[in-house]
Parts: sequence; C-alpha cells; structure tokens
Amino acid sequence: MIKSIAHVTAYVINQDEALDFYTNKLGFEIGDDMVVEGGFRWLTVYPASQPQLQLVLAELKEGPMFSEDTAARIKSLVEEGALGVGVFETEDCHKTYEELLAKGVEFIQPPTEQLYGIEAMGKDNSGNWFSLTQPKK
Amino acid sequence: MTSLLQLRKVQAGRDYIASNINEPFSLAGAAVCANMSPYHFCRTFKKAYGETPNEFLVKLRINKAKQLLVTENYSISDICDQVGYQSLGSFSSLFQKHVGIAPTQFRKKIWALSSQAFHYPIHVIPSCYSFRLTQCLSN
Repeated sequence: MIKSIAHVTAYVINQDEALDFYTNKLGFEIGDDMVVEGGFRWLTVYPASQPQLQLVLAELKEGPMFSEDTAARIKSLVEEGALGVGVFETEDCHKTYEELLAKGVEFIQPPTEQLYGIEAMGKDNSGNWFSLTQPKK
Repeated sequence: MTSLLQLRKVQAGRDYIASNINEPFSLAGAAVCANMSPYHFCRTFKKAYGETPNEFLVKLRINKAKQLLVTENYSISDICDQVGYQSLGSFSSLFQKHVGIAPTQFRKKIWALSSQAFHYPIHVIPSCYSFRLTQCLSN
C-alpha cells in the first residue's frame, strides 16, 4: 500500500529564479539543494508546515532527466501556461491573495467562491499555474 | 489548528533558528522573535510543524553537515564548528544517530560512489529524475 506522496515536480525555466519565487514570495522552505554527477542540480522546496512533501524544481534543460529536444518541448508548454503545479491550501484565501499580490505574484483569477471553497488562480514565474484554495469547512 | 497569526509568529522564531545554526541554540532568542514565552513557543512550534524547535535545529545542522562533508574538503572539526557544535564528540554521536554512520564514513562512502569529486553521486536522488544519466553510467 502506498503511504504518502514524497515528491512532486514543477518544471521551471530557471532554478535560481524559481527558488526565489517559491521561497521569497510563496514562503516555502528549501529542502535539498545539491549538485550531483553530471552537474545536475537537485533542488526541492516545501511549505513550512508540510516538510513531508517536497516540490522538485526541475530545470528544463538537457541533463539526466531530459534530452535537449524534450526539454525544449516541455519548456514551450510551461511558457504557454499549459501546465500546473497543483493546489496550495490556505486558511484565508482573500488574505493570502492580498499578501501574495503585494509581493508581485501574478494571478489570473481573484478569490472566487467554488463548490469546494474559495479559490484564486496564480502563476509562478516560469508560467506554471497554481490554485490557492481555502477549503470549505 | 494553529491560527494564521500564531503560525506567522512561530515562523519568525523558526527563521531565527534556521539563520543561526552555527551558533549555540537559544530557545529564549527564538521565543523572543516569535513574541511568545519559551514554553508557548515550543508548544505552538510542535503543533504547527510536528517537531520540536530542537529537533528542527538538529535536522538543519545534520543536513548542512552532510552537504559540507560531500561538497567541501573541510576537516570534521571545522564542519562540527560550522554547524554550531562545540564538542566533536557530541556532533559525531548525533550524526551517527541520525545518519547511521560516522561523519568520516559518510564522506568516504559518498565520495566512493561519485564519479566526480565534490559532487553527490547520482544515486542519492530518485531514479525517475536521473534515468538518462544512470543509463549512461551503466552502459
């Protein structure tokens, strides 16, 4: 039986810029930051209150994960906003939305009532969308 | 559930701990940053993050030590000092307890596995992120 999810992936255009976005704007913590053989940088972040789930910031360039061609194809999908990171939960969507907006985070939808709660839709600085959701109690 | 205000306060104390891992641990200092009593800070911290401030600090120190052991050629004493331990014995015991082997053994093991000096071996990351390189290395 699978117990939990340990890592999920965000495909990013530039790791340094993505790291700045996820830590300084979204308030995530740095998990691993190490260079492995072949020069591949293994970089993960996690929400401060959920260290068990690591978000891998995988840079789209030729390396142990991608060929040059594959990296270029995924990069174009990220840049056109076709890919998403997932749902980030908050206790107060309106408040977190205002805080992130003040930090310069781009939103494509303000907080909106949905069947499952209040949800805003944002984008990271690579172009991946994310949902900022206050679940319905 | 920890309120947003409490979380923000306790986060300030957590940031203080994270940015002072090379200094002797000051629970009082972290609690002051969080604007809480040390007792309240510990309780709120554990509730919010599932670990005590001290467990969080030890985790950060051990991770930093692992990184320095692999990517730098510093002596074990220097690394012990850089991650905030004054006693080499305490540092080695804690490292052994959390990693399973002594610092020197850890360094030797990782360096032996890596084909490049001061780089982590590809095997330390999940294979689904490294399948192209591991295929190349195995051919």
